[in-house]
Amino acid sequence: MSRLRRRTILGGALGALAAPAIHAQGGKPYNGTTINCSCFQTTYYEYLKTYFPEFQEKTGIKVNFTMQAFPVYNQRTDLELSTKGSAIDACNITFIYSGRWIGAGWFTPLDTFLKDTKHTPADWDPDDFVSGAQSQMKNAKGETFAFTHEAGAMLNIASRYDLIEKAGLKMPTTFDELIKVCDAIDGKDGVKAFVADKLHHWNWIPYLMGYGGNVFKDPPANLTPIFASSEGIAAAQWYADLLMKYGPDGQLSYSDDQAMRAQMSGRANMRTQAITWGVPLVKDPESKVAKTTRFALMPAGPKGNFPGSNSHGLGIPAGSKKKEAAWEFIKWALSKETINKIVEKHGYPAVCRTSVIKSPKFKEVMTLNGQDVAALYLEVLQLGGKSGYMKYRTVPVYPQVGDKINKAIEKIATKQQLAPEAMKQAQAEAVQDLKKAGFKVDEG
Amino acid sequence: MSSSLQRRFFAYCVAPSLAVLAVVTLLPSLYLLATSFTPLNLTRPETAWDFSEPLISYRQLVTDDRLGNSIWVQIKLSFWTVLLQLLIGVALALLLNIKSRLLVALRTVYLIPMVLPPIVVAIIWKVIYTPDISPMHGLFRSLGWNVPALITDPQWALTSIIIADTWEWFPFTMLMVLAALQMLPQELLDAAKVDGASPWQLTRHVTLPFIQGVLLVAGLFRLIDSIKAFPLIYILTDGGPGNLTEVTNYYSFLQAFNFSYLGFSSAITVVLLAATVALSWVIIRAVGWGVRVD
Repeated sequence: MSRLRRRTILGGALGALAAPAIHAQGGKPYNGTTINCSCFQTTYYEYLKTYFPEFQEKTGIKVNFTMQAFPVYNQRTDLELSTKGSAIDACNITFIYSGRWIGAGWFTPLDTFLKDTKHTPADWDPDDFVSGAQSQMKNAKGETFAFTHEAGAMLNIASRYDLIEKAGLKMPTTFDELIKVCDAIDGKDGVKAFVADKLHHWNWIPYLMGYGGNVFKDPPANLTPIFASSEGIAAAQWYADLLMKYGPDGQLSYSDDQAMRAQMSGRANMRTQAITWGVPLVKDPESKVAKTTRFALMPAGPKGNFPGSNSHGLGIPAGSKKKEAAWEFIKWALSKETINKIVEKHGYPAVCRTSVIKSPKFKEVMTLNGQDVAALYLEVLQLGGKSGYMKYRTVPVYPQVGDKINKAIEKIATKQQLAPEAMKQAQAEAVQDLKKAGFKVDEG
Repeated sequence: MSSSLQRRFFAYCVAPSLAVLAVVTLLPSLYLLATSFTPLNLTRPETAWDFSEPLISYRQLVTDDRLGNSIWVQIKLSFWTVLLQLLIGVALALLLNIKSRLLVALRTVYLIPMVLPPIVVAIIWKVIYTPDISPMHGLFRSLGWNVPALITDPQWALTSIIIADTWEWFPFTMLMVLAALQMLPQELLDAAKVDGASPWQLTRHVTLPFIQGVLLVAGLFRLIDSIKAFPLIYILTDGGPGNLTEVTNYYSFLQAFNFSYLGFSSAITVVLLAATVALSWVIIRAVGWGVRVD
């Protein structure tokens, strides 16, 4: 008997022996497997958690899912991934860390799973994910490391549109109009005209770009910081004034949630932020502004409109020892059926599958106070995907550079420094940081 | 048993403890020191044991203005918190040392801030300092006073941290001084009284010299702890507005855990450790351990 023949027979015999065992598990090869997954706090997984028993019933995989506050999650995961340990089997790739985590080889390419029909049926349809959102989850070679579960599309969200109407105005479409509206409504009915959270390196950039500035010279090829240009200085001063003149006292320490609560309780009116933070103003039972909330595109600056957009995806860390089970989870969590269910039952707005976004149900769910917010959402996502102006945010050093921007805006807003001084100092620090991280920057 | 045999026996007894101590404290410190001589960056694994330019992080320290600012903030924070905690702690300990049932009951109440988990203390003060939900700001508003949000006001941000830290830790000084006061021999006080000493003279010439050693220990503990200040800054100000409340310890944390510059962060920590040890030594040499009464 040849060696090949012997191996075939042995393989067949083992298969025959194993078959009853799998059958005894109810056809669930992963029965008894537990996977550890994590993400920052997000409504998608809050909703999804309630359906985990269904997933366990279907596959035999038990899911331990932990969520932390956004900065805490990023810090912990950054450290955990760097060890290439096996503590996490599937986790969120945060937008601003995507370049860093994927570039460092800390995630598993998913293409092997995608190409194998045994692992991924054709109707799972990976091409259905919005390309703009999905592009941040790929490396330069085009390999995919995650599938997106949440896309952020920045809109102008007014919690008390009635005050704007009463002043005879409409939702502002330009920076100048924004100031005009703020002037007209600030303090009316005890409501401050504008509110923002403390993440200026996300909130301020559309204003910087609207003024014609940028964070880096040509990201990701040339990461020389240029945010202290004359346009950058003008945008920083303008934005700091907006915050201090029209924002509630103490907002410089506001988290995302605090800013949303300020709107929800009717203490602050407009906010330019991702849609995820706007939908609860209409849908949350605690909201006092459900009937008066309106959405609009981000106001445009003299040089155009650059609303922020981002995406967060679910991937498998390189060190995971249960990659196949983790892929089963990702497949289920981000399947059309599951996402449709979350949209229908919970009104989840930040969907990344085109077929779901274009579905009548999504439109129905996202028609808020008579407005087709789904259309606004898709428009912003496509804007970001087309011209690639969001690339600045996915470079590996963005967390460091963003920190300098945050500090500079705070210094200008609290009058510790004038805008030119603060921005130039922040830029010099950013250059120093980039060099520390081993990046080349243009001199002079 | 001969004395050399006895010494050897004691050495064997102590050896396991010393070995454990070496493993849990000395080894990590040595690793920290070794890391500080590398440009370790978590996103670049090849930097882990790269000793080709051992002083690179230390050279960067010298040119880092933000680090210089953080040291100055640290000095201000440590000076004021230690001073206030010692003054308030001593004053309250002297008060609570008076024999009274009410004051005995109050001792426990005063200990509450110290026994709360630091993160709870930080959240309590976050509520107090957030104008929308703060009872303090509510009171000010009802009195017609327009008080700004303290943690985002450049004039008040550091002071607000000092107030919260003092509230949290004055009970520690109070407790130590109170324990020392209760050990103060009555004969000393009686003798001074017979000599005609006034209450102020009793405090100045008898009580304070007696508790000097305890005050030094309490002050040193608080000084070292103030250099480790973290939860209050993390929760309340995040080092801001700008860098006004960014102490060295917090800056080191940002470098390591937000930006992955572990080599640079280790260099900061080594300098901080050396400075703390040197400062403690100078204080002990200058102040001494106080009067010992057997």
